[in-house]
Amino acid sequence: MDSSQAVREGLLPLLPRLRRLARALAGQAADADDLVQIVLERALTRAAQWRPDAALDRWVFAIARNAWRDELRARGRSQNLFAPEEAGVTAADGTSAPAQTLDLAAALAALPPDHREVVALVLVEGLSYSETADLLGVPVGTVTSRLARARATLQAHLGKDT
Amino acid sequence: MKPIDDDTLQAYADGELDAEGAARIDAALAYDEVLASRVQQLRALRAQLQALFNPVLDEPVPAHLSALLRPASLQAPTAATAFVAASARRGFGAGRRRTSRRWLVPGAAVAASIAVLAVALWWHGGNGLVRMHDGRQFAAGALSRALDESLASEPDPRASIAIGLSFRGADGHICRTFVHSSKPALAGLACHDAEGWSLPVLSAAEKTAGGELQQAASDLPPAVQAAVDARIRGEAFDARQERAARDAGWR
Repeated sequence: MDSSQAVREGLLPLLPRLRRLARALAGQAADADDLVQIVLERALTRAAQWRPDAALDRWVFAIARNAWRDELRARGRSQNLFAPEEAGVTAADGTSAPAQTLDLAAALAALPPDHREVVALVLVEGLSYSETADLLGVPVGTVTSRLARARATLQAHLGKDT
Repeated sequence: MKPIDDDTLQAYADGELDAEGAARIDAALAYDEVLASRVQQLRALRAQLQALFNPVLDEPVPAHLSALLRPASLQAPTAATAFVAASARRGFGAGRRRTSRRWLVPGAAVAASIAVLAVALWWHGGNGLVRMHDGRQFAAGALSRALDESLASEPDPRASIAIGLSFRGADGHICRTFVHSSKPALAGLACHDAEGWSLPVLSAAEKTAGGELQQAASDLPPAVQAAVDARIRGEAFDARQERAARDAGWR
């Protein structure tokens, strides 16, 4: 089996998780799936760079994170894809979500990218601190401090309404 | 006992501590309600985030995404049956811009003269896919049914007729491109009006290099592309719009 085929076959079952991560990063469903498409195309282009002893999920998540960063840069926005007030949020199941859930999504959308990606990788995807640090190329201490600050921001946001 | 700092408490809540470290926090939580409530808050936020995003895991994966991972040999089941809008959208957030068009064509080189002959045979060969009305050609039989019922977002790999783009033309009529996996594959444009699906354009698939089915970044056959460009205003339908249009009888 060549690496391209291995990557194709390995990525298929990862699609739901990849979409979830993209949703946590990009916010809106349409943007998230556009991101997933870019990620899949990059992953297939770079399939030869994947080593079977490396976890495919973290490999593709790293591609996703970098693609998201590229897109942010391309848009020339240092903070967010959308200004917070236009960061309309779609509940994942398409139904109206409780107000607090929408608050949380809006608060997440307003986080700086450094914080947002840590929240997405650790709290949504469930990677460990050290896996996240490897993926981002930063020390574990940086992950924990960003995570703590992101949590404080989110918590403060939620606390306003409760 | 050392005081428990915030980073340690967070690591505990996230399951990052080793057994010894976790046991120490466990012991502290037993008598420190403030500490316990902070752990509870840390975990509640995580749970809320999970509740927000985990439903994505249960959503069906859009076909255009999973299609990207299908091996090339399986992408076109029998012939040039599927338009692929998948790779069309570049750059998320810009996704609402007009799509470029890719489709699958048979790799087998097809001499142009044979293709033209094939169109003629297909068109007039009595295969029951075309009927005449008032001097115009309309879809009939299986072609008419495919145009009525098939959704590009839910392709049937066994079907010999695959739907590509659907859009509302400048004159208000809905048009759909299609490919019939005859040999060679033929593509066309059908527009819905009171008489049914008229067929303003039908064209053979262009030849491509290589000898096997492959995904080609080629455009629609020029005649079909030109017909689309002449009619389309704005965007091709997305999956939801396509379904809604079908449910409304393509009016």
